[in-house]
Amino acid sequence: MNYGKIAAGLIASAGLVAGAAQAEDLTVWTLNYSSEAQVAALDAAEARFEETHPGVNVDIVKRGTDEHKTALRVAAGSDTGPDVYFMWAGLGLGGEYVKAGLSRDLTDYYAKYGWKDRVSTPSLAFVEAFGPGMNGAPYRFTGEAIYYNKGLYEKAGITEEPKTYDELVAAAKKLKEAGIPAFTFGGTVNWHVMRLMDVLLETTCGVETHDALTGMEADWSTTPCAADAFKELKMWSTDYILAPFMGIDNRQSTNLFLTNRAAMMLEGDWQVNVIKEGAKLEDFAVYPFPTGTDRLYGFAEYLYISTKSKNPDLAAEFLDMFSSTEFQDQIKGAFGALSVNKSVELGDDVPELYKTWKDIFANAKGTFVNGDQAFPLDVTTEYFRIINEVASGNMEPQAAADAMQAFISKRS
Amino acid sequence: MTTVSMVQLEEEIVRPRRDPLLIALWVALFAVALIWIAPFVFISFTALKTGNEIMTTNAFAPPRVVAWDNFSGAWVKGNFSTTFFNSVIITVIKVPLGLMFSAMAAYALARIRLRWNKLLLVFVLFGAMIPFQVMLAPLFTLVNSLGLIDTYIGIILPYLAFGVPYQVFILHGFFKAVPKELSEAALIDGASHFTTFRRIFLPISLPVLAALLILDFVATWNEFAMALVLLQDKNMWTLPLGLMSFQGQFSNNYGQLNAAIVMTVLPAVIVYLIFQRYFVSGLTSGAVKG
Amino acid sequence: MFNSANLHSPRTQALILLAPALGAYTIFAVWPMIEVVILSFQRWNGLTADRAWAGLDNYRYIFTDDPVYWVAFNNTLIWTVMSVIFPPMVGLLLALGLNEKLFARGTMRAIYYLPVIIAPIAVATMWRWMYDPFFGLFNQVMTDFGLQSLIQDWLGDRDVALYSMFVAFTWQNVGFSMVLFLAGLQSVDRSLVEAARIDGASRWQVFRHVTLPALQVTMTIVIVLSTISSLKAFDIVYGMTGGGPAQSTQMLAMWAFTQSMQIFDFGRGSAISVTLLLITLAVVVPYLRWSQKREEAAR
Repeated sequence: MNYGKIAAGLIASAGLVAGAAQAEDLTVWTLNYSSEAQVAALDAAEARFEETHPGVNVDIVKRGTDEHKTALRVAAGSDTGPDVYFMWAGLGLGGEYVKAGLSRDLTDYYAKYGWKDRVSTPSLAFVEAFGPGMNGAPYRFTGEAIYYNKGLYEKAGITEEPKTYDELVAAAKKLKEAGIPAFTFGGTVNWHVMRLMDVLLETTCGVETHDALTGMEADWSTTPCAADAFKELKMWSTDYILAPFMGIDNRQSTNLFLTNRAAMMLEGDWQVNVIKEGAKLEDFAVYPFPTGTDRLYGFAEYLYISTKSKNPDLAAEFLDMFSSTEFQDQIKGAFGALSVNKSVELGDDVPELYKTWKDIFANAKGTFVNGDQAFPLDVTTEYFRIINEVASGNMEPQAAADAMQAFISKRS
Repeated sequence: MTTVSMVQLEEEIVRPRRDPLLIALWVALFAVALIWIAPFVFISFTALKTGNEIMTTNAFAPPRVVAWDNFSGAWVKGNFSTTFFNSVIITVIKVPLGLMFSAMAAYALARIRLRWNKLLLVFVLFGAMIPFQVMLAPLFTLVNSLGLIDTYIGIILPYLAFGVPYQVFILHGFFKAVPKELSEAALIDGASHFTTFRRIFLPISLPVLAALLILDFVATWNEFAMALVLLQDKNMWTLPLGLMSFQGQFSNNYGQLNAAIVMTVLPAVIVYLIFQRYFVSGLTSGAVKG
Repeated sequence: MFNSANLHSPRTQALILLAPALGAYTIFAVWPMIEVVILSFQRWNGLTADRAWAGLDNYRYIFTDDPVYWVAFNNTLIWTVMSVIFPPMVGLLLALGLNEKLFARGTMRAIYYLPVIIAPIAVATMWRWMYDPFFGLFNQVMTDFGLQSLIQDWLGDRDVALYSMFVAFTWQNVGFSMVLFLAGLQSVDRSLVEAARIDGASRWQVFRHVTLPALQVTMTIVIVLSTISSLKAFDIVYGMTGGGPAQSTQMLAMWAFTQSMQIFDFGRGSAISVTLLLITLAVVVPYLRWSQKREEAAR
């Protein structure tokens, strides 16, 4: 055996490896989506970027919602972590990372690539909200509304989509009389049932009070509409949600919805693809929860560049590619009805559901976000607990409001 | 001839044949055993059924159409090739290494006279009693500060640390019981402790070592909480982490979910069926002796 | 210093033999233990570089203001007491039964012990699926037998959830105590049993006066080991309910983890961990003392 040759070979390959390590890696952390179209869109992003940037290896890591939150938080305290990470843009989630110094200021990149002119105005809402400079580039802007099963509505004799809250309650009653559970939710993932609470709060409290409550500026125990909202939550949970729901998760709940076990679901515009892949789109329709305030229940999701990234310029290019007209055009409809890119529009040959969504977005005057994005982590955990207690019938509405305020007051 | 019939006679006096109580007992035990094995059956059947069959047929009805693609689908989605590989690497490195370290330490504490023997022993045994779950957070910060999160070393070292107490405990008891004559002869001849350990103590403790090896293999293979905290990168996940993630993400694909369960559980079951007696002897050797 | 004489000194050799195990143990087991105590007096969110001193604030918080702590505490207590009673009891019964020369007892023993070697997280996943309210085993079987009215939301109803998890835990752990008892039963003097039987003692009397006393040692071991392992209950809670519904199945180990690694309040999480540590010590130190005494008595 010629050891000389082997040694030379080893050294050469070591050089190759070192050389290959020079080829850059870009890590992106995001969610694992239920719909194949969404997963495919992420894979397309990876492929496209690698194509246009030879020598770059993009690794898109997909995790479940709660896992992603934990992983990112853990990475934040260490030197490991992604270059780009996905986060919901509100205070309690994305905002917290900005405040902790994990999000890189993107002002230069915004100027360089002109993202501000490219993306839709509502999606920019949180970019400058939390820290100096600009943080995050819009990735998705979504809305949540009521999907319903047309056949089941017909069966219960509901002929029109409810336009007011009272009409919605009346519709639920009709469904119940027909032996159909009105809603289905998955209790184990906390944030699913929370959605119902959020829209109920908006309904009973109106815009300003709702914002004051979620901003923890108003007192939950002395603001009557808070207890009212809990009261409504209790009513819905006791009478109108497909039981048992506390022990199942949102995916199982979707399964049940698609197999006609319940009439409605409070879900986001991303659900259209899920329905498409699991059932027949024509059987379903959507309308906004009649809160009476004209605000869209929705939120923005951003891609942030980590301050620990060693390749910020490369990361910025990835962000640029993602929101670019070409790419958004390529994946349009995968993530939702609305692209963050202003100039990408769904054509007319799209499902009816998407057309409705377009209208919903167009008609909305302002947004209110999900509770778990408004509150900091510990308050969110307690909020979940209280909501679940009320929903299981173990806590009275006023006690719930009191407990919420007690927890908030005790925070130092 | 006579002896046999004598024994038979004795048995008949002490225990009449076909004791109804024993038969009832056997039936009860058998029934309970069936209940005990039912979950395995249910999971395996569900793993082999198509989604449609799962929702329409009885839990214990064997699948009419065998859906092997549940397994292949779950294997890919759950990243099983990676998690399996990681579990193997970590276990294959940690288990023999840990046992070796523990044996060395146990020998030293049992056979070499030091001032600190008793104290060190108590120090080590202390760790056997403490639930490591209380230390997950500082463990994370420690491994993190060493830059070892998401590395094999980063998880093997804590695993080694937590394996020491129980193994040292068992081996210490065993080594202490070895007659002095055995080691004294060698030491008088000028052998070092290393040699005595290697040539005398290791060979005679092979059964205990084998049992501990098997027990530790299974414990390491199944470990979840520490891995959850120390392995954040999904490419470094072990089998249990992969299964938990699968449950979180694909809980609505029942066939694949159960296939994932089967694939996670199968290696341990196979090891068990092959090395059955070592499990039992490992448990009892230390515990019963106290 | 490293001349051959020193290298051969028993002391050096002992040091070398002890170093790897003790080193790993001290750094990765003992130091975190100490750090938990230190952290419990601090405030830290895992992100910032500095950790503020918080004195007894964390303890005060968990004992008086935390809505979940006492739920977790009670659940841990209930769980531990149940773990010490039921699996060992069933294990003992099985051991007694399988101690007799019965047909296929080896197979049956293997069946009962099998769940012990399965990863607890896999057990949690299995049973979670079995408890599924729509397609799970239990609801299906009960419906088949016409017992629909007895169907519960096994993991979603706070009154039942903890016990549903415990059933899964029992399924997994019975084999463990069964094996220990089987070993203990081997030390029961057969001649005593036969003598008693010949004298006309009933099975029950034999059990009470011969078998049971001989099993004292095993019994204590099983009880203490069950206590220690039940205090660790983590994988099964994480995998089956995650502490829910509404944190009603939280236990101390899981709640400590939630505070530290999910809510990122390391100070509070550590304070909770310290209370769990103290509880464990309160159970374990007496055992250590007792076993030391026994060892000394045996010498």
